[in-house]
Amino acid sequence: METIALTMDGKKISCPSGISILEAADQHGIKIPHLCYHPDLKPFGACRMCLVEEEKTGRLMAACVTPVAPDMVIQTESPRVVTHRRNIARLMIAEHPESCIVCSKGNRCRLRQVAAQLGVGETNLYHLPNFKPLEQANPFIIRDLSKCILCGKCIRADHELVVVGAIDYNLRGFHSRPATVHELGLERSNCTFCGTCVSMCPTGALSTKNSSYVGSPDRESNTICGFCGVGCTLAVGSSNERVTEVNPAHLSESVNGATLCVRGHFAHDFLNSDNRLISPLIRKDADQNEEQWAPVAWEKALDLVAQRLMEIKSENGPQSIAFLGSSKCTNEENYLFQKIARVVIGTNNVDNGGYTSGQFLFNVFDVKTDGGCRINPLSDMEKAEAIFVLGADPNHSVPVISYYLKKAALQGTPIVVVDPRKTELVKVASFWLRPKLQTDLELINALAALLHEKQSYDPVYIDNYTEGFSLFRYSLSSLDLDRACGVTGIDRQCLAEIVDLINGKKIAFVVGHGILQQKYGMHTLGAIFNVSLLTGSLAADGGGIYVLARENNQIGAMDMGTVPHLLPGRQALNDDRVRKQWEKNWNVKLSPDPGLNMVRMIEAAEQGNLKAMYIMGENPLRCLPQPERVQKALAKLDFLVVQDILNSETAQMADVVLAAAAFSEKHGSFTNLEGRIQSFHPAVVPPGNAKSDWEILDLLIAKMNQTKGYETLEKIRMEIRKLVPAYAQLDGQRQGWITQISQKAVFNNQTADGLITFYPLVTTEAHSVDSDYPFSAIVGSLRYHLGSGTRTNASERIQGFDLCGQIEISPEDGAKLEMVDGDSVKVISPFGAVQRTITLKKEISPGEVFVPIAVNSNDAMNLIELTDLADPNSPGWKTVRVKLEKV
Amino acid sequence: MNKPEIDWEKLAAIVEKHKGKKWGLIPLLQEVQENFGYIPPESVEHIAEAMHMFPSQVQGVINFYAGFSLEPKGKFVIRVCRGTACHVRGSRSIIRLMKKELNVDEGETTPDYRFTLETAACLGACALAPTMMVNKTYFGKLSPPKVTTTLSEFSKTKTEEKV
Repeated sequence: METIALTMDGKKISCPSGISILEAADQHGIKIPHLCYHPDLKPFGACRMCLVEEEKTGRLMAACVTPVAPDMVIQTESPRVVTHRRNIARLMIAEHPESCIVCSKGNRCRLRQVAAQLGVGETNLYHLPNFKPLEQANPFIIRDLSKCILCGKCIRADHELVVVGAIDYNLRGFHSRPATVHELGLERSNCTFCGTCVSMCPTGALSTKNSSYVGSPDRESNTICGFCGVGCTLAVGSSNERVTEVNPAHLSESVNGATLCVRGHFAHDFLNSDNRLISPLIRKDADQNEEQWAPVAWEKALDLVAQRLMEIKSENGPQSIAFLGSSKCTNEENYLFQKIARVVIGTNNVDNGGYTSGQFLFNVFDVKTDGGCRINPLSDMEKAEAIFVLGADPNHSVPVISYYLKKAALQGTPIVVVDPRKTELVKVASFWLRPKLQTDLELINALAALLHEKQSYDPVYIDNYTEGFSLFRYSLSSLDLDRACGVTGIDRQCLAEIVDLINGKKIAFVVGHGILQQKYGMHTLGAIFNVSLLTGSLAADGGGIYVLARENNQIGAMDMGTVPHLLPGRQALNDDRVRKQWEKNWNVKLSPDPGLNMVRMIEAAEQGNLKAMYIMGENPLRCLPQPERVQKALAKLDFLVVQDILNSETAQMADVVLAAAAFSEKHGSFTNLEGRIQSFHPAVVPPGNAKSDWEILDLLIAKMNQTKGYETLEKIRMEIRKLVPAYAQLDGQRQGWITQISQKAVFNNQTADGLITFYPLVTTEAHSVDSDYPFSAIVGSLRYHLGSGTRTNASERIQGFDLCGQIEISPEDGAKLEMVDGDSVKVISPFGAVQRTITLKKEISPGEVFVPIAVNSNDAMNLIELTDLADPNSPGWKTVRVKLEKV
Repeated sequence: MNKPEIDWEKLAAIVEKHKGKKWGLIPLLQEVQENFGYIPPESVEHIAEAMHMFPSQVQGVINFYAGFSLEPKGKFVIRVCRGTACHVRGSRSIIRLMKKELNVDEGETTPDYRFTLETAACLGACALAPTMMVNKTYFGKLSPPKVTTTLSEFSKTKTEEKV
C-alpha cells in the first residue's frame, strides 16, 4: 500500500493512504477525542468532536471521516480546534439531563470523559434537556433516550455488525432519536437483545438492566463465554467477587469483535443465582434428619466418592461404572475425567453432553480427511464465493455466526438456505430450499448429480487430491434425479439454477442440528462432503465446513477423549496401533470395545447393569428425552456422583454432590467450533467452597491412586501437549489453534500425499406416514436459551423475559384445526405430550409443527423417545410424529 | 366518513413497480403518499422487504420528510403560509380563523377526513401574501371572508375533487 507523508502537530509522520486522519493520529499516539467513532464501524462524522485544523487551508474537518492526503499539515489541538470542541461539548451537555450522579454509566461515560478533558463544567448555556420516556419493559436493556447524543453507534452496530435493523434514526432535528419500527418497545420489535449497542453506547442512554443497583464494576477481566461453541471473548466486570456486567472484550483476532448475543451479554447473571452450589453435599438418610443434605468438607466428600467407586469396581467390575463428562467443562478437565474412567477405573463408559448434538457424526469428516478439516476459521468465511446453510438457524443457535453470514450476504456473497422452516436468514439468502423433512440427503445427492451432469465440478482439484472419482461419478450418473426431486419436493429447475450459481465457486458450508440430529445425519454430512470435494472447496480459501457446536467446549470434550469410542486426539479406540500407544502412554491395559454412550448408560442403569455413575457438568434429567425414564434409571443406581455448578434436577438425585466453579471462576481452555483453543483466567473466585472441576478431579485421582496428583494446570497441559499432537498449542496463551496433522495432500501440499475418497452415495427409503400422528414436530432452540436451558433458566433476566415457548404451526393448519393465535394446544407424540399456546406462522410448512426447547423445564423432551440410532451411535431427535389437540 | 380504506392491490402494484431499484425508495414513497394521502404504517414492512432495507430505515425516511405522513390526511390538505411576508400581512389571524372554522389544531385532520390543517414556513408566493395552498392550488391575498368562502366551497364539493 502507498505510504504518504504529512505533518501532524508539528511532527512529520507517514501512514498508509486511504486511512482517516483519526486513524493516522491513533497509529502515532496522538489522541483525538471522539464520541461517534468506533474502529469496527464505518466512519460517520456525527459528533464533530474529532475536529482538527488543516493549517494550510484553515479548514476545520472531522478527523474520522477525512482521509489523509499527502503534505497535509494538521493541528489536532490548536486553540481554535479546542474552542470548537468545547462548544460542541457545551451544547451536548446543555441538552443532557443533569443526572450524572445516579447514572449507571458513571465514570465510564464518554461524554463526561470528553467534557472533563476539555475542561467543560458549567456550560453557561440555557439548559434544555430533551426528556424522553424511560423504556424498560424488557428485562435486558434500559433505554433512556434523554441521554442520547445521536452518535448513531447503536444504529450502525445494529445495521453493520449484527445486521438486524431493529432501530434507525427517526424524526428530525431536536426530536430525532433512534427508534424501532412503529416506535414500539424493543421487546415488540425484531431486536435480538444482543446488547452490542449497550456496550457501544458512549453515554447512559443504553444500559444493562439489573434487578438492583450495581454501579461501575471494580475491575474488568477477559475470559471466554461459557455458552455456545463460538467461543466469544468476554470482558467480565465484577464487584466484590460477583460478576456484575459482561461486555464483548473486543480483542484483536477474536471471533466476536465488538458483538455478543443475548445469552453472552445478559444471561451470565446465572453465575450469581441462588441455585449455585457452594459446598460439597452428602445425602443423609431422610429419617435421621429433616435436612436431606449435609454440607461436608471436601476431604470427606472425596473420600466417600473414591471409596464407593473403588468398592463398586471391585464388586461389580469396572464396566458397572459410567462417566458422563461435560461439553461445558474445559479441555484439561475432560482429559482428566476420561483418564479417571479409562485408567483409574478401567472402563470406556465415558461420554459427554455433546452426544445429544450428534458429535458421533464428526467421524465422517475425521475419517475421510484424517482429521484435516477440523480447522475452519470463521474469518475465512468472507472469502467464500457462495455459502450453503443447511439445517441451521444460527440467528438463534449461534447468533455470532449469523452475523458473519449476514455480513457476507450484504457484501454480495450468495447464500443458499436449506431448511424446512423459513428462518430469519432466508431474508438475506439468494435461494431458500425447503425440502421435505429428512430428505436433505436426497437433495444434496441430487445437487451433486446435477453438478456432475452439467460438468460443473473442478476436475483439476479432483485429480490432484481425491481418488475413486470414476466409481463415484458412475453412481452419480445413475442417480434418478426425477425421483430425488419427487422425494424432496424441490423443483429440478431450481436445482439447476443453484448449480449455475455455484459453478466454479468455492463454497463454505454451515451445518446445523437440523442435519446433525436427524436420522440420516451421517449420510447427509457425507453428501455435503462430496459436494465440497466436487466443487474443489474443501481446504480451499473460503471453503470451510462449519459444523455448529451447541456447547462451548463440545469440540474440546471430544478431542480430549470424553467419548466412548475415541481416545484423546480423536484417535480411534479400536485401532490396535493407537491403543497400544496409549497403553504405553498411560501404562495400563485398555479395552478395545467402545463404552456406553449417554443413552446406553441410561439403558444400562435401567436394566440394573450399571451400578454407579459420575456426572460432571451435565443434567441428563433435563436434556434427555423421556425424563421420567431417566429419573427411574438414575434412581436404580447404587451410587450417583454429580459435580456441577448449579443444584440441577440431576444433582438433586445424587448421593454426593461436588460443588464446582463456573468458567468465570477458573483457569482452563475451551476449543471452539473453528478449532481455536482459547485459554482463560478467572474473573472472580468461586462461590463458597466450590472448587474448579480440574482440582476436584485431580484430588480424586490422588485419592484413588494413592499418589500425588498433577497439582497444577500446567502439568495437565504438558501431558496433553505431549500425548495429543493436535493440541501442541495448548500452552496457556490466549489463543492457539488445533495443529494440522492430516496426511492428506489437500491440507498439506508439501509433505503429505494422501488422497481423499468420496463418501459413498446413499439413498433412503421413503418412509410411511402414520395417520394417527399426522404432524411432524421439529424441536429447536430459541436464542434466549442454550441447549436444555439448565443455566439460562437460572438467569434472572432470561426468566424475566417470560418465554412461554409458543408452538408454531402454519396458518393453513391453523385454519383446518380452527385454531387461532393464543389458543392452548396439546402436542401428543407416542411417548408423551406437552401443552402450550400456539402461534400461527407462515414460516412453517403445513403438516409441520415447531416446538421450542429449554422452556417449561424443557418439557419438549417428553415428546421424544429415548433411543440411540444404532448406526451411527447418535440421536435422531430433531423430529417426531405428533398429533395436535385443542384444549 | 371513516378512515379511508386501503386498496392493498394498488399499493402492491406501486411497490412492485419500484422493487429493488437503486434509489427507488423515495419515488416509491411519493407515489404511495400521492395515491393514498399517506403511507399506511402496515405497509412499511412490505416496502422494506421489496427495497432490501430494514423497516426501521424506511420509517426513518418517512418520518424525516415533511412530505410523507404515516397518518391519513384529509381529502384537502390546507397549508397556510407563515413566512415573513405573510406574517406581517396577518397570516396569524388567518391560521386562528382556520382553527376555529375547522375546529382542529395545526397538523390535525377533521374527523370526517375532509381537511388537514398545516402550516408552511414559506410557500414562495410572497407577492400574494397572505397565502395558503389547498392541495396543489394557491389562494392569495387572503382575508377572513375569503377564507370562509373558500372553506365552504370545499365543504360543499361532496363527490368530486375540484383541485
